[in-house]
Amino acid sequence: MNDLEILDQINKLLDDDDPATVNTSMRLPRNLRDAATLAVDHLGTAASATMLTAEALRYSLETAVMEATLQAHYQQHPHARPTLAETALAMAEQDGSPLATQPAKINQAAQEIAVRFPHADAEAVLIWAEARETMSA
Amino acid sequence: MRVLLFDNEAVQALINPHHRKHRRVLAHLESHRQRRAKAPSRAIVPTTVRVEAGWNRTRPGSAAINRLRITDAELDSKTTDTATEIRAETGISVVDAHLGATARSLTTNDLIILTSDPHDMTQATGNKPATIITI
Repeated sequence: MNDLEILDQINKLLDDDDPATVNTSMRLPRNLRDAATLAVDHLGTAASATMLTAEALRYSLETAVMEATLQAHYQQHPHARPTLAETALAMAEQDGSPLATQPAKINQAAQEIAVRFPHADAEAVLIWAEARETMSA
Repeated sequence: MRVLLFDNEAVQALINPHHRKHRRVLAHLESHRQRRAKAPSRAIVPTTVRVEAGWNRTRPGSAAINRLRITDAELDSKTTDTATEIRAETGISVVDAHLGATARSLTTNDLIILTSDPHDMTQATGNKPATIITI
């Protein structure tokens, strides 16, 4: 199977509403198991430790599929990849940040942070831009 | 939980890599993906939006967008009743009324709508708190 076929197969499995369960040989660190039990029993985090584990696993898999899908798309269409500044602007809009109306400041922050932290993400750009605003106030 | 909701043009822009707003919508999906790593969030599309945008999940051309984990919000009986009321009150399209009914049915107050028509979305969502982003 190629990468896209693997993504499709994972998606198919994630969308399958078959309620069948399996006993698995996956080993879980004891501290995590105990923490999950406490969270279920005392915080109402989920109906059971098994459900908590399954939901967390599903969420992680969905995020991984989304990321891999986007990366595959950018490989096929390099022009489609948003810049760090464009993603940061989108995040500002989604968060209702005042920076959403100041794209020039986001652009500047993205350029500056990329020099010092090449793997910075959109949230880091917004924090950088906010810090610059505070410093200059 | 944050919910990202797509209107017709947002879907069309997402499907077509040559659409002039493709990158902008992808920037929002990227932001959504990065936020997912820190807090629960999901992306949904009303099924009538899919109809209008021509997104048939069974077509080979839909393979890429199908992989993005954008789930369907169906036009069930209850949503239909709400959408009917919205349409009667505002005169907006059936598709936008379905989107509005979907928005109003969500329990979250962290709702984001990607749209090319913020005016109609404001009417569609009514009193439901939503961040309406024009693409």
